[in-house]
Amino acid sequence: MIQAFSDWLAATRLSQTFADLGWFVPTVQTIHILAIAAVVTMLSMLNFRLLRITRDGPSLQNLAGGYVPWVWRFLVILLISGALLTITEPGRELMNNAFRLKMLLVVALVVLTVVLHSTLRKDPEYWTSTPQRRVLGGAIAVASLALCLTIVAAGRLIAYV
Amino acid sequence: MSAPELMHSLQELSFATAISESTWLFPMLETIHVMALTLVVGSVAMMDLRLLGIGSRDRSISELTRSVLPWTWAAFAVAAICGLLLFSSKAVAYYDNIPFRIKVVCLLFAGMNMLVFHFVTARDVGAWDNGRTPAAARVAGVVSLSLWVVIVATGRWIGFTT
Repeated sequence: MIQAFSDWLAATRLSQTFADLGWFVPTVQTIHILAIAAVVTMLSMLNFRLLRITRDGPSLQNLAGGYVPWVWRFLVILLISGALLTITEPGRELMNNAFRLKMLLVVALVVLTVVLHSTLRKDPEYWTSTPQRRVLGGAIAVASLALCLTIVAAGRLIAYV
Repeated sequence: MSAPELMHSLQELSFATAISESTWLFPMLETIHVMALTLVVGSVAMMDLRLLGIGSRDRSISELTRSVLPWTWAAFAVAAICGLLLFSSKAVAYYDNIPFRIKVVCLLFAGMNMLVFHFVTARDVGAWDNGRTPAAARVAGVVSLSLWVVIVATGRWIGFTT
């Protein structure tokens, strides 16, 4: 079914138009990488704070309040640029295991970020109030950092798998 | 020894041939290079947007620098080492590649811009640490952001022109 959809998409006029423009893929990939850089850096700073690797500056809640809305905005840019790349080269993306893994990991990262942000909005001390929550918060931060790195790796490995 | 001969000799070194002949070494190094680069670009942009008064306005320049810059340097070191190893594996082709040359020139300018900011513009940072930044600091922010966008773009273009 995915193969049939990929073949149909590749045959559309839009896909062929994008594919014929030599500058299109590198330009959209550049925008995609810049948006990934923004998301990965903001989430890393947030996770470093949750892990108490960095201690200066705003509280965890203020840091999340400042960064997370921007993470969602950049995620929209990532989805649009990713969709454009998929329309241009459907076979390279949709039929690729690294791409499929990347999409699953993005969903997991979004869920973790929503959990982290929503709990902090309700209770700024949520992740520091008990030793168990501190451990759980640390585990979420490590998982989030690992997801960020694996998403970037999977994105690059699409070209090789 | 001419530059092309030097590139050829570099490409023939044992570690360079190991990278170019291996199925996975080049993709793995490139992946680590991109991982590190995302952190470099993101953290540099965070500082630049603060200088421009667009982002992190509730944080002082010195506090943000203390929090962010160590990560920038660590990530830059990783990106540079991987970048040099990648370069060595196809030194002749990269040396002739125009986007690669533009990327290297932009990296040098970004480094110079950073040095001028730290050793000249930021000497009196105490006077504007928490408030509106002076014009020279905002110019440094715009120049840095522009250069890093070009560095990412040319980096991506290398893959389409070699």
